[in-house]
Amino acid sequence: MAETIRADRLEIELDEGATVRDALDGLAQKHEAIATMADCLAVAVNERYCPADTTLNNGDTIALIPPVSGG
Amino acid sequence: MPHTRATAYDEETHRTSFSPPMLDRYHRQMILPSIGEAGQQRLLDSHALVVGCGALGTMIVDTLARAGVGRLSIIDRDTIDLTNLQRQVLFDEDDVKETIPKAEAARARLARINSQVRVTAHVDDFNHRNAQRYLDDADVIIDGLDNFEGRFLLNDLAVKFGVPYVYGGAVATSGMSMTILPHPQHRAGAARSNVSWTPEQSTPCLRCIFADIPPPGATQTCDTAGVLGPAAATIAAHQATQTLKLLSGNLDAVDRSLYSIDVWENRTRRFDISGARAAGNCACCVQGKFDSLTGQVGTSTTSLCGRNAIQITPADSQARDGGLDLAQMAARLAAHGTFTHNGYLLHGRFARERSNRDEPVELTLFPDGRAIIKGTTEPEAARSIYAKYVGA
Repeated sequence: MAETIRADRLEIELDEGATVRDALDGLAQKHEAIATMADCLAVAVNERYCPADTTLNNGDTIALIPPVSGG
Repeated sequence: MPHTRATAYDEETHRTSFSPPMLDRYHRQMILPSIGEAGQQRLLDSHALVVGCGALGTMIVDTLARAGVGRLSIIDRDTIDLTNLQRQVLFDEDDVKETIPKAEAARARLARINSQVRVTAHVDDFNHRNAQRYLDDADVIIDGLDNFEGRFLLNDLAVKFGVPYVYGGAVATSGMSMTILPHPQHRAGAARSNVSWTPEQSTPCLRCIFADIPPPGATQTCDTAGVLGPAAATIAAHQATQTLKLLSGNLDAVDRSLYSIDVWENRTRRFDISGARAAGNCACCVQGKFDSLTGQVGTSTTSLCGRNAIQITPADSQARDGGLDLAQMAARLAAHGTFTHNGYLLHGRFARERSNRDEPVELTLFPDGRAIIKGTTEPEAARSIYAKYVGA
């Protein structure tokens, strides 16, 4: 995903009270690679797993974690 | 029937007069305070099931056999390809020439590494029909697979029967691993594993983190993205380490995070997943639905990671009485190309079949009717070849 987007870090502006889901939707609109993966990504906020309805705070770092399939 | 053979370590391989005393070889790990002689004895009394014997699987079974995990069951459906040798440590060029199945080659190699360990090789596709049988009395399930369909099946098995499950995956230069101590809420009967843990010590399961099987094409494969040997080795080492902690009775030392590493970018992360089960409504460990184990999900064609190949599994592959007559099949195919067969499989290349990419097409056929069609990544093309030459 990072290779496709050619960035391993993205910034996004969100409204007050925005959730993980809002952040994902916002990123998916800008990046097709995230849109295609959105349903199977796990999300961590500040290195802690969070469900999609988690409310975000200013300065939070969100990690998008795609499942790793190879072996 | 799938091919199964156990190392007759005590009758054939194990020569008492030349064998070192039982525990001497483990001295360097027994002097670790957290292992000791008691921990070593627990390892020797343990049974680990390793599903998938590629990059992760070979390194894991190599480590566990050397460490003295007393019984290893290895399941893999595939044969060894030249492109496997870059990262799959137990195999060599002779194995490629002789078209040896991976599980069987691993068993033979491990028997030479540690004759005290009883290794059982199953050359078979791991699926919902045989999963419970292969689980048997395993104390831990270790993931060497290359697809999420199989992993969801392992996760179902682990949760339903109360067996720890060590997930691992690697692709390109990165990978991740996670150790699952299933919550007992939906466990069927008493836990099978000798590893015991309290409900408070239980962890989220794989589906608490990844709810659904990623759709085809969604995740990177070894085909499209490649894989660096040390990336797989790092994940395999993490999985093997957690396994040794579990089996030696060091539950408190187990990594309870989702471990993630990119060996090229020098980035390691440990995600705190302790709240994931409570935060969600996991179909498996919260709702108690075992869709993979009941066969409600699952297909009969599978793309093989890194192989440019499709596997066809007939719906009734387990039901065939006595299996296919490989000699007869080879005779029938002789007019279509060069085919040879041994006790495990039939293998050969079609003289006139070319894939849509104008590559030669190879067939590997197993006695249970399962086939690997190499030279194509299109399930339909593979089905067509199967129907034409094997009969569907």
